[in-house]
Amino acid sequence: MAVDTRIAAQLRDVHHRFGEVGVLRDVALTVRSGEIVAIVGPSGCGKTTLLRIVAGLLTPSGGEVARPDSGVGFVFQEPALLAWRRVDSNARLLARGDDAIVDHLLAVSGLLEHRHKWPHELSGGMKMRLSLVRSLAARPHLLLLDEPFGALDQITRHRLHDEFGALHESEGFSALLVTHSIDEAVYLADRVLVMSSAPGRIVGEFAVPFPRPRSDHLRYSSEFAALVGNVARSLYRYAGDA
Amino acid sequence: MNEIRPPASPRTSAHRSPRLARLAPPLAAFGVVIAGWYGLAYSLDNNFASADGSALIIPPPHQLFVGLNAATVSRIASATWVSLGTAAVGFLLAILVGVVLGVAMSFSRSLESALWPWLIAVQVTPVIVLTPIIVRVVGASFTARLIVTVLIAFFPIASNTLFGMRSVGTALHDVFTLAGASRWHRLIHLQLPAASPAIFAGLRVSAGLAVIGAVVGDFFFTRGTPGLGRLITFFFQDTRSGPMFVTALIAALIGLCFFLAVAALRRLLVSPWHRP
Repeated sequence: MAVDTRIAAQLRDVHHRFGEVGVLRDVALTVRSGEIVAIVGPSGCGKTTLLRIVAGLLTPSGGEVARPDSGVGFVFQEPALLAWRRVDSNARLLARGDDAIVDHLLAVSGLLEHRHKWPHELSGGMKMRLSLVRSLAARPHLLLLDEPFGALDQITRHRLHDEFGALHESEGFSALLVTHSIDEAVYLADRVLVMSSAPGRIVGEFAVPFPRPRSDHLRYSSEFAALVGNVARSLYRYAGDA
Repeated sequence: MNEIRPPASPRTSAHRSPRLARLAPPLAAFGVVIAGWYGLAYSLDNNFASADGSALIIPPPHQLFVGLNAATVSRIASATWVSLGTAAVGFLLAILVGVVLGVAMSFSRSLESALWPWLIAVQVTPVIVLTPIIVRVVGASFTARLIVTVLIAFFPIASNTLFGMRSVGTALHDVFTLAGASRWHRLIHLQLPAASPAIFAGLRVSAGLAVIGAVVGDFFFTRGTPGLGRLITFFFQDTRSGPMFVTALIAALIGLCFFLAVAALRRLLVSPWHRP
């Protein structure tokens, strides 16, 4: 399916089954160019499956998927680094010969001085930064993120949220972010989609009106809390027994 | 208010040298083995019943080199050369065969299910049954010795390679899939490096097995320059326990050298990045 240049990814009537088990039902969503869309949903609702379908790692049982011809970047729950390559070499794994962009990304994510270290010498936050740098080094039009900050402590997570926001400002990629955290979804995204329990479908959509760049103060504002509350109510209504 | 005191140092022997502490366990183990050796040599009935008083069954450590004349030393030297060559080339071939089989089975479940029972069968079949067949097919040659060595040594490498190749995480595979990596690129840049700690664990076991293969295989070859295995049987039949034990110790030393070589290579290639 051809992609409108203003659209980074589009799904129509996508459904998926694993054998007899329905995982996704009638999923339709659009990610516009430069937009960050977050998906929240109860455990096991098919969020990761949806992301793998958008990436092309999984062919859906039915429906249409449009994604950028240039491929997508994927940041996994785990950093998925090559333990036998140093930081620098991991960062360049997917780069298409563009050394300058890798150096730039390593610098802005504070990894330049650690470039000769092995992955096991990095903290959890640094590993995730490196994973992000590796994906962005390929200059993807669309970045898919599967709970990338889930395993980090709160301070590191919040710091990475801001770094991610800054990278988004400077690199201008589009992103589809799957997360458990409503807080994280509202803080990072332009739109938040709510998924029901399996078979997952999109049951709510919330525009996030907060201007960018966003800062930590936003988290403590009443508007932020109100929007988080609205998303949470929608999520709990469709969470089923999850 | 209760004052929080720093805990007392648990080290009571504060002046003990760490180097001594590190050397103590292996030195103690060495002492126990030597003491046990002496104990065995002097407790066995009729061990010293020979005409010249030398040990018949097991010489005590200080009598190891009794009866080791120039002719015997030269026989042991040439046998060492034969067995060392067989073990070294056999070990390299076992690595090649083991890694290729492990990789091939990791690519195809049907190949794995077809080959696996036979590999186990070869592993547990006493080599004495296979040796006459090997000799009949390829002759009592260096090749035959190599085949016996490979048969005894390849299995841990094949099984560990398969295990290592299968242990690569889904996310890492996905990274390569999204990058459009070919099977060859994935093998060289992902699967083999990821499997290398497991492969080295297999190499460590196989290093010793290769020497066992070269020595044990040699028992069955009656033609050509004898290796360490045949020399051991000669000395055993002549009840020359001193040279027999020296020969056996040389085989053990070759095994130790192989093991250390594998350990050094592992320290160079795997240890810097691998944290289990």
